[in-house]
Amino acid sequence: MAEKKQILVLGGGAGGLITGNLLAAHGYQVTIVEKSDYHLFQPGMLWIAFQGHSPERYIKPVAELVKPGVELVKGVVSEINLADRLVRLSDGREYSYEYLVVALGAAYDYDAVSGNKELLERFGDFYSGAEHAQRLWQSFSSLREGTLVVAAADPSYKCPPAPHKAAFLAAETLRKKGLLGKVKVVLALPFVHEYASKNLAEIIAPKLKEAGIEVRTMFTVESIDVENKKLYSLEGEELSFDVAALIPVHRGPLVKVAPEDAVDDDGYFKVDKHTLRIEGYDDAYAVGDCNNTPTSKTGVTAHLGGEVVAERIMGYDAVFTGRTNCPLVTDGEALFVISDYEHPPVDVRFSKFKRLLEDMFIAMYWPSLRDPEKWSPLFRAYFEATSPEKLAQLGW
Amino acid sequence: MPEKIVVDARNMACPGPITKLTKAYRKAKPGDIIEVLATDPGFKPDVQAWVQRTGNELLELKEEGGVIKAVIKVTAKK
Repeated sequence: MAEKKQILVLGGGAGGLITGNLLAAHGYQVTIVEKSDYHLFQPGMLWIAFQGHSPERYIKPVAELVKPGVELVKGVVSEINLADRLVRLSDGREYSYEYLVVALGAAYDYDAVSGNKELLERFGDFYSGAEHAQRLWQSFSSLREGTLVVAAADPSYKCPPAPHKAAFLAAETLRKKGLLGKVKVVLALPFVHEYASKNLAEIIAPKLKEAGIEVRTMFTVESIDVENKKLYSLEGEELSFDVAALIPVHRGPLVKVAPEDAVDDDGYFKVDKHTLRIEGYDDAYAVGDCNNTPTSKTGVTAHLGGEVVAERIMGYDAVFTGRTNCPLVTDGEALFVISDYEHPPVDVRFSKFKRLLEDMFIAMYWPSLRDPEKWSPLFRAYFEATSPEKLAQLGW
Repeated sequence: MPEKIVVDARNMACPGPITKLTKAYRKAKPGDIIEVLATDPGFKPDVQAWVQRTGNELLELKEEGGVIKAVIKVTAKK
């Protein structure tokens, strides 16, 4: 007999924790199912891999991130049956629910690109956990001369400026070690321009040049020859490397879903883009990277989506706007890529102040997960002050 | 048998249309026809740059009623 939960949240990442903790703060009985004992601040992998930061800075036990009263279940979700309101874990435990919040994130398909697994084993990467990020740091920091290539296997991946950040952070490390020039940083992008959107590409391209980063556009990695250290692109070109950091192909979470058409061809949950309700169900939502909303896959969208879902469950008519706030950090500066469903990314400038703001956002990450009811008003003020409409008029 | 693949990227902002084209191209076979529909004005120069880089054949590129239609023959895949 399945144990019935009032609010069943699947996943203890940013989206799951914000939704669950907000509802718990308002007196709901919340159960969060999470497969790991630890929560990883995912952007931290960039700092581990390219600046040698200690992983401890970016990892906390999930148990410390849930409010008192939230029931934390350690387990792997293997099956979600929306029609029967039933969730099954890999060890056979079953739960039913009044409301379901799927927050399982995206998964990676290392078989999609031949050689990707071998590359990961050999050099690590900056997407699949602190250990792989540490392995990449070992590979990168042992380079005394040669080429570091940062590339992507597909144009849709978490955090659109992530490869740029990787290149900038790597170049900063090389500059500090006096190795810039001896070690070349090549940024291979699956886009026509130096950034996903053209207007920002024009703003970012001069900074890349200034940092000594070489850019290859329209280079979507299709296969890798790890032995001979070559990347081959879908567009028909090749690139040699000494160390390569590849963003793997993403897909929806690896769970069995019934009905099958609740997820799209890539395994992402089909939701109403404004309410985040799973299509056809009024008691199930999907927040963050695991849904198919036409916005970027980022912690910010998971955070904002989580707030919307919590408010909707509480009975408010909250709407998710698709707002992004993707930080792109360079050597000492930053900008935020700001867009929503109605507005493509607005023109913004790099500044030292934004770097300070980003460093503050990182410091605020842990308390804002645990106590979203206290921090949300602060974030709301920031998001309102920096709405794409306002920035289009004022510039930023 | 070569197939015709239709990629509907209407109402998608940059880089949506090229992203969808790239995804379709990964699965395409030599000889396939990829037809992309887009409304983002940036798609026109982008698809021209893409075709030039990849060496595929652009059979048609036209704009009608705000919709850009690009028809590409996959000739560069082995």
